[in-house]
Amino acid sequence: MLIEARDLYKIYHEGEQSEVRALNGVSLSIDHGEFVAIIGASGSGKSTLMNILGCLDIPTYGDYHLGGVDITERSDRQLARIRNRQIGFIFQGFNLIPALSAYENVELPLIYQGVSLFKREDMVQQALEKVALADRAEHRPAEMSGGQQQRVAIARAIATKPPIIMADEPTGALDSKTGQHVLEILHQLHSEGATVLLITHDNGIAATAERIIRMLDGGIVYDGPREGVQL
Amino acid sequence: MNLGQAFKIAIKSISAKKSRSILTMLGVIIGVAAVIVLVSYAQGQNLWMQEYYASMADNSIEIYAYSYNKDLSTPLYNYCLQLDDYVVGVTPTAQVWSTVLVRHGAKSLNSDDYENWDDRPEIVLGGQDYSICKAYTLTAGRDLSYLDIKNENQVCVLGSHMAELLFDYTNPVGKTISINSQPFEVVGVYESKDAAFSMGSLGYDKIILVPYTLNRTLNNNQSLDSFVIKAKDATSTKRAITLLSSFLEGAVGDYGYYSISTPDQWKEMGEEEQQVQQRFLGGIAAISLAVGGIGIMNIMLVTVTERTREIGIRKAIGAERRSIVAQFLIEACMLCGFGGLLGIVAGFVLTLIVGKQSFGIILIPNPGVTLGAVLISLALGVIFGLYPAIKASGLQPVDALRAE
Repeated sequence: MLIEARDLYKIYHEGEQSEVRALNGVSLSIDHGEFVAIIGASGSGKSTLMNILGCLDIPTYGDYHLGGVDITERSDRQLARIRNRQIGFIFQGFNLIPALSAYENVELPLIYQGVSLFKREDMVQQALEKVALADRAEHRPAEMSGGQQQRVAIARAIATKPPIIMADEPTGALDSKTGQHVLEILHQLHSEGATVLLITHDNGIAATAERIIRMLDGGIVYDGPREGVQL
Repeated sequence: MNLGQAFKIAIKSISAKKSRSILTMLGVIIGVAAVIVLVSYAQGQNLWMQEYYASMADNSIEIYAYSYNKDLSTPLYNYCLQLDDYVVGVTPTAQVWSTVLVRHGAKSLNSDDYENWDDRPEIVLGGQDYSICKAYTLTAGRDLSYLDIKNENQVCVLGSHMAELLFDYTNPVGKTISINSQPFEVVGVYESKDAAFSMGSLGYDKIILVPYTLNRTLNNNQSLDSFVIKAKDATSTKRAITLLSSFLEGAVGDYGYYSISTPDQWKEMGEEEQQVQQRFLGGIAAISLAVGGIGIMNIMLVTVTERTREIGIRKAIGAERRSIVAQFLIEACMLCGFGGLLGIVAGFVLTLIVGKQSFGIILIPNPGVTLGAVLISLALGVIFGLYPAIKASGLQPVDALRAE
């Protein structure tokens, strides 16, 4: 198994009156090469789950193994390495660095990985071509449309060729046409062997996934093939 | 992640955020330049004061001695002349206090003219060493000579203002003026002493120096009880004062009064005043550094939220904590270092201008102060530049991304 999570809890203000259980004992496992859509209402815990799976956050309780490695025991350095090489994260709000050009944004994870300048140029170029933005390399985020910015974010996520792509409502801030384009890119990455986890509100997008996880109030209420759920 | 890459990222970040970078540097530039200029200004004033007091002092000793029952001036003069190991010049001196009328051609000057305060001549009796003792230099002609004194020649040397008033910038040497209807030949003119330190007064340049042996005719033969001595150096000044004190103690005894003073006392006063001023300007320098520092702090802290998000993004795509701290450290050092350099340049240029304008000298800033100002600015910049990095890089990426 690539991803193996057991009894994940994320509890804010634990023990106080205002205690919130964003995750309330979630277990799941995901294999190499799957395309999984996580759906559910706002506040159901989808993003919290994905942030923990993406090593952007830590669970209050529970076990998480990524590629057989226990994540909860890792140091800051080791987590940084995992985020850099294992996972490409795509956010709803793009999270590009506004002062840097598209090229520089995509280059950043490669710099942190320590890739040499020569190889870096190639890899950035490849990533930008994959999202059809090679001609926008010198533009800053503010000079691009939302769809273009999200494609830059995807290029950044795939620049280090990570085996896992996690996307938290990647089309949420885009119109349906550009959203469709972004979805196509994710499917293409999947067909090339990547494992894709996708959070979405959009039933049409969820319908293109092989496997659906539905969440409610911090727990999983459905986990199975697309065919078994009423979208 | 090596240092070279941290540099690369830091340089990118600086050049991408030009206005923030410039504002940060401006804080450092202003702080450093202000401290350099203000402290240099204080030092310039110091130099100027020292020069002023030196011109008042320079190892001269003023003696006043008076006895009820005998003439003191001859033995005192003789005693002073014996001190030639310590002394380079001795002159009796007295001012003619009665009303004097000085004429040349149609021009006349009255020593009691209260309407033209600056144009009142001061008739001074003195010996051939007068210019040495009172630090006058000649611009034309010659000084009083031994023979002038001995033969009671009716000659005089003019202060520069007197020469201007009586001769309208023509050469007075060899001409004759009348003092109280007596003819006096002008043998020399003194250079203006007041120009450098004039505070509105022309005191030194209003003198008309005549041989002290004319005391009898010009000054009702009043006793010559004042002397001015010029000693070789500060040590000689002290030694001469000691010797003169014991001589006068014996000579005057209970039948009179004497005093020995030296304008070097001015110097001490000046030095005290200087220290007060130094502290005052040190305070101003500290304040300007604080203002510059607050400027640096401000711009750094204002961007914390923005930078915290940036740090969240960097962490999310795989930056280690130490590479983020390294990037911010390098950024802060480069901005503040470059700002400090520009501050030094600005400070030096302004100091040169101020030195020229205010004091007419070439003023060079103190290297210690310059270094101190730069180091403090650098430290402030680094501390407040690192603050968001250290704080945010310890957060979980998702918390840093949430910063508002």
